[in-house]
Amino acid sequence: MKPNVETLTGYQVTLRPVELPDLDMLRQWRNSPQVSQYMLSHAMITQEQQLAWFKKVERDNSQQHFMISYKDTLIGSLNIKSRLVGESLAQASVIEPGLYIADNRYRNNIIAFSPTLLINDYCFDQLNCDKLVAVVKPDNHAALNYNEKLGYKVVKQGELIEIELNFDDYQDHSKTLKALLSRNASR
Amino acid sequence: MTNQHKLVQAFSTSLGVEPAMVTDDLTYDTIPQWDSTAHMILIAELEDEFKVMLDTDDIIDMSSVAKAKQILTKYDVDFDA
Repeated sequence: MKPNVETLTGYQVTLRPVELPDLDMLRQWRNSPQVSQYMLSHAMITQEQQLAWFKKVERDNSQQHFMISYKDTLIGSLNIKSRLVGESLAQASVIEPGLYIADNRYRNNIIAFSPTLLINDYCFDQLNCDKLVAVVKPDNHAALNYNEKLGYKVVKQGELIEIELNFDDYQDHSKTLKALLSRNASR
Repeated sequence: MTNQHKLVQAFSTSLGVEPAMVTDDLTYDTIPQWDSTAHMILIAELEDEFKVMLDTDDIIDMSSVAKAKQILTKYDVDFDA
C-alpha cells in the first residue's frame, strides 16, 4: 500500500502529488517537442497509455510524481524513483529524480532550481537516501550544466551520461542558491 | 559614475563580458557566461553597488538587463540622471 504522498513547499514553489485532473496537461507537456526531445523515449503518449500509467504509479511505493506550482501556476512536473526495482522510496538508498519545466517563461530562469532543491532536501533529509543519480543524454547540455551546478559528478560516460550526487556535495553546492531562493518574497 | 555606468560595470564584472555586451536586451541563460552561478554573483554585486537587499521575487524576475533596471528603480535607484 502506498503511503500518503506529501505536498512539499519551499524556495518559492510547491510540489503536490499528481492527480487525475492533471493528466491532460501533463500529456500535452510530455508530448511537446521541447520536453520530449530530451526524454529517453520520444514516443507520443496516448490518453489510454497515460491512464494505465497513472493507475500503476498511484499504487507504486517506489515512485512519486509531483506537479510543480509557482505563484499558483503549474509550470512543470517532477518525479522521484527508487533506483532498485521493487524497492520502496522509504527504503531506497539511491533515488533517481526527474524534472521538466514546461512553462517557457521559467525554463531558463533561476526558479528552475527551486523544485530540485526542494525534492533533494526531501530525499536526503526525510527519505534518508545516500545519493541521487540521473541519466542524461549527452546532447542535453542544459541538464548537464544544471546538475553540475547542484554538485552532481559524472560517473559513467557513454551513449547516456550517468551522474550522481552525494549529500556533502549537494550541501556545498546549493548553499548560495538556497539562500537566494529563500529570502522573503514580494516587497 | 552614473547609475547606468555602475549597472554596466556590475554586469560586466559578474558575467565576465565586455561592457559593450551589456545592453538592455541581454538575457539570462542566452549567453554561456550568464548562468546560475554568474546570476548569484551578479545579485551580490548589484546589492553591494546599489546598497539594496533584493527580494527573492526580484532575484527570480531579474532575467535581463532591462528588467534589472526596472527592478532597481523600485528600490529608488534612478537611471535617468
